[in-house]
Amino acid sequence: MDVIWQGLKEGFMLILSLDQELIQVTLLSLHVSLTALIIAGIIGIPAGAFLALKNFHGRRLILNITYTLMGLPPVLAGLIVFLFLSNRGPLGDFQLLFTPTAMIIAQVILGFPLVCGLTARAVMTQQQEVYDTSVMLGATRTQAILTLIRESRIGIIAALTTALGRLIAEVGAVMMVGGNIQGKTRVLTTSIVLETRMGHDSRALGIGIILLLLAFIIMLIILKLEKRSFKDDSTIQII
Amino acid sequence: MTALFRLFNVTKNYGDRQVLNVEHLEIEAGHIYGILGPNGSGKTTLLRVISLLTLNDTGKLEVLGEHIHWAPTQLLRLRRQMAMVTQSSYMFEGSVFYNVAYGLKTRKTPEPEVKVKVQESLELLGMLDFINYPARKLSGGEKQKVAIARALAVNPKVLFLDEPTSNIDPSSSIEIESYIKYINEEKATTIILITHKLFQARKLAKQMFLMWDGHILEQGPTRDLFHDPRDPRTRKFLKGEY
Ligand SMILES: Nc1ncnc2c1ncn2[C@@H]1O[C@H](COP(=O)(O)OP(=O)(O)OP(=O)(O)O)[C@@H](O)[C@H]1O
Ligand SMILES: [Mg+2]
Repeated sequence: MDVIWQGLKEGFMLILSLDQELIQVTLLSLHVSLTALIIAGIIGIPAGAFLALKNFHGRRLILNITYTLMGLPPVLAGLIVFLFLSNRGPLGDFQLLFTPTAMIIAQVILGFPLVCGLTARAVMTQQQEVYDTSVMLGATRTQAILTLIRESRIGIIAALTTALGRLIAEVGAVMMVGGNIQGKTRVLTTSIVLETRMGHDSRALGIGIILLLLAFIIMLIILKLEKRSFKDDSTIQII
Repeated sequence: MTALFRLFNVTKNYGDRQVLNVEHLEIEAGHIYGILGPNGSGKTTLLRVISLLTLNDTGKLEVLGEHIHWAPTQLLRLRRQMAMVTQSSYMFEGSVFYNVAYGLKTRKTPEPEVKVKVQESLELLGMLDFINYPARKLSGGEKQKVAIARALAVNPKVLFLDEPTSNIDPSSSIEIESYIKYINEEKATTIILITHKLFQARKLAKQMFLMWDGHILEQGPTRDLFHDPRDPRTRKFLKGEY
């Protein structure tokens, strides 16, 4: 019990002290996960919409693979990227291993199936009448598809939120390809692992609290954005 | 007079069930056409085929004088001369303004013109007060009015109305009927109206079709159909005995 109190105290002290190193670690966490989220979103949302709307041979299979990869273990994603980027790997020449870029790549691999799969689900639940209404009002195919995506935006925002939650909290992939190098690739989650190993339990817990706060703040921002685009978001009243 | 729509032996199946089988149908420009028929008789399906929303399985289809080959550019060009109020009056997530402006925006209409036209159409339907209201929160009848305003905003050559007053109160219905007449007479818009209200059909339509099990059971001038139906089933249907 003592450890937990100590940790809570230390956590708040850490935040208040504006510890230089900790700020740098926090910013890198944000940088890596947000960049990965943006990239995963830029490719995942169109890919998901495509899978939802285009009938082609093998679509079912690709969807099932995507759903499966939504549960891809982070260490496994890390391992794959590691093998590709290591000196003996096919992309070894780029010297990317143990850089933030490698961490971003690994997190894109983790985030992409989530964004793509959940976007596909959201778009697939739209009714035929959305498309019909829009083309009968003169929309081109592209405009109608954009409307379908727009109508699915509650689901797509949920996809992005879920993905961000997964990325900011994962440790396996960033540890594997980043290496937890001080001042270079250390992020919040890998710091926690390190501090715990070194026996600094309460400091580890403190960093954990920062991580939790960070996740909370990001969710607040997303919810705020969500509210802005859904002034008329229908809340179901259960009486 | 060239026909706006011309169908020969057009069929549509869902699974092994045939829901549409029209041997011959011509719709000419400038009139109001009424389509009657029991539930599930294929009225909406017929409308969807001629508005190019549903592919027919067999037969020949001509729309606005063109043989349909389903190329996206042709579909776009033809659909932009038509508008539809569907049975469900689906509203996009967003304001009433967003919904009514939608068709104009797809045509890249300049912003000031969009504003004017949206206001005009809403005014016409008595819905101007709702312009900033979330469209999904409207009542069923209000949604239908917005759907009509939304279709009118693009100034279509052909207007499809699928039971446009099913949820609308009697006095608003009468108003809407007079707009339907007005746009047909003043703007020469051809109107194809599906309705279950015999009185409305009689009042508005010049020509009538009666659908039965996917077929056009009877067609002709409204007067003739009501006063002197050829098929006994038509007589029964009109008397409400079906
Ligand atoms: N997408 C579809 N898939 C399967 N069956 C369909 C589909 N659309 C229509 N049908 C069937 O085709 C038949 C004709 O439907 P349609 O909607 O044209 O009827 P309707 O005359 O408009 O009826 P209502 O007066 O109830 O609107 C119905 O029995 C319906 O179940
Ligand atoms: Mg119908």
